[in-house]
Amino acid sequence: MKRFQVLLAVTLFTVASSSMAATIEMTVNGLVCAFCAQGIEKKLKRFPATAEVVVSLEHRLVAVSLKDGQDISDADLRKALTDAGYTVKAISRSETPMADVRERLKQAQP
Amino acid sequence: MVRLFVGLCIAVAVAAPAVPKPIAFADGTTVMAEYGAGTMQELQIFYAPRFDYSVGGGHVDFSSDVDDRREHINYARLNWLAHRWNLDDAQANIFVWGGAGSATGNQFTGTRIAGNAGVQVDYETRRVYASMKSDLQRSAEFSDRIDTLQLGVAPYKHDYGGVATWFVFQARHYPGELHSGIETAALLRLFKGGAWIEAGVTNAGKVQAMAMFNF
Repeated sequence: MKRFQVLLAVTLFTVASSSMAATIEMTVNGLVCAFCAQGIEKKLKRFPATAEVVVSLEHRLVAVSLKDGQDISDADLRKALTDAGYTVKAISRSETPMADVRERLKQAQP
Repeated sequence: MVRLFVGLCIAVAVAAPAVPKPIAFADGTTVMAEYGAGTMQELQIFYAPRFDYSVGGGHVDFSSDVDDRREHINYARLNWLAHRWNLDDAQANIFVWGGAGSATGNQFTGTRIAGNAGVQVDYETRRVYASMKSDLQRSAEFSDRIDTLQLGVAPYKHDYGGVATWFVFQARHYPGELHSGIETAALLRLFKGGAWIEAGVTNAGKVQAMAMFNF
């Protein structure tokens, strides 16, 4: 019985961890200036779950990495961006570390 | 006022939308100072509780090169983002503002109540921008309006964290007899992060400059 409980706990932890995205990437319309980026960064850093924010004007991208075991819902992210004055076109979640996102953006610079 | 402007320029020497806006971002404070070729000098401070409005005030000095008339106005103002279009690679805005304050001048004695109102329409991408602004200060003794057209071109696309460079053409009309004819200016604008600085010369060879800091 005890083994079963341990196995269940490990399984639940694994499932929960895998459903947590390390990084959330958002495609945002209206991102044309540094002030836009500054306002968005300020807004997203207010979430306790936010570890890091990267904004790329070139790719119309706002990426948020999350603290371990924490999450921000799509609805909350959309509201934050809308309240900042911008339009969210798409949200995707992945396990990609922020360093890799940064590197990808750097490689894709024209 | 000039000293204040120079001080602010030094403070933000590390120099930002392409267009100066009365609202930078939600929960943001904007400090803006402009030296307008000797005809106008203005200092403004606004706080935006939300992305679509800001409150604050300013001080403006007008000095007419037509009839030597001078006015000095302190005012409170509400700025409102009436509409914003967030496009794929562009943004367009309509701002309106209004407020009230007190004015003194060399053509009347004492202090007068002054009202102010204005509108700005702008469109910007990361390579080009255009804006039209009309700003009115009015009392029983004077009516000073400044209509400003700006067209800007960036030699390269900047990104967040980098320095943005813009070449700006500005044309100004002063219907309130502050300046005769159309005043044009060529400006160089630099900004980085929340700070920007711009400077240039008018067709009369006078200095036109502005600094803005957002935090």
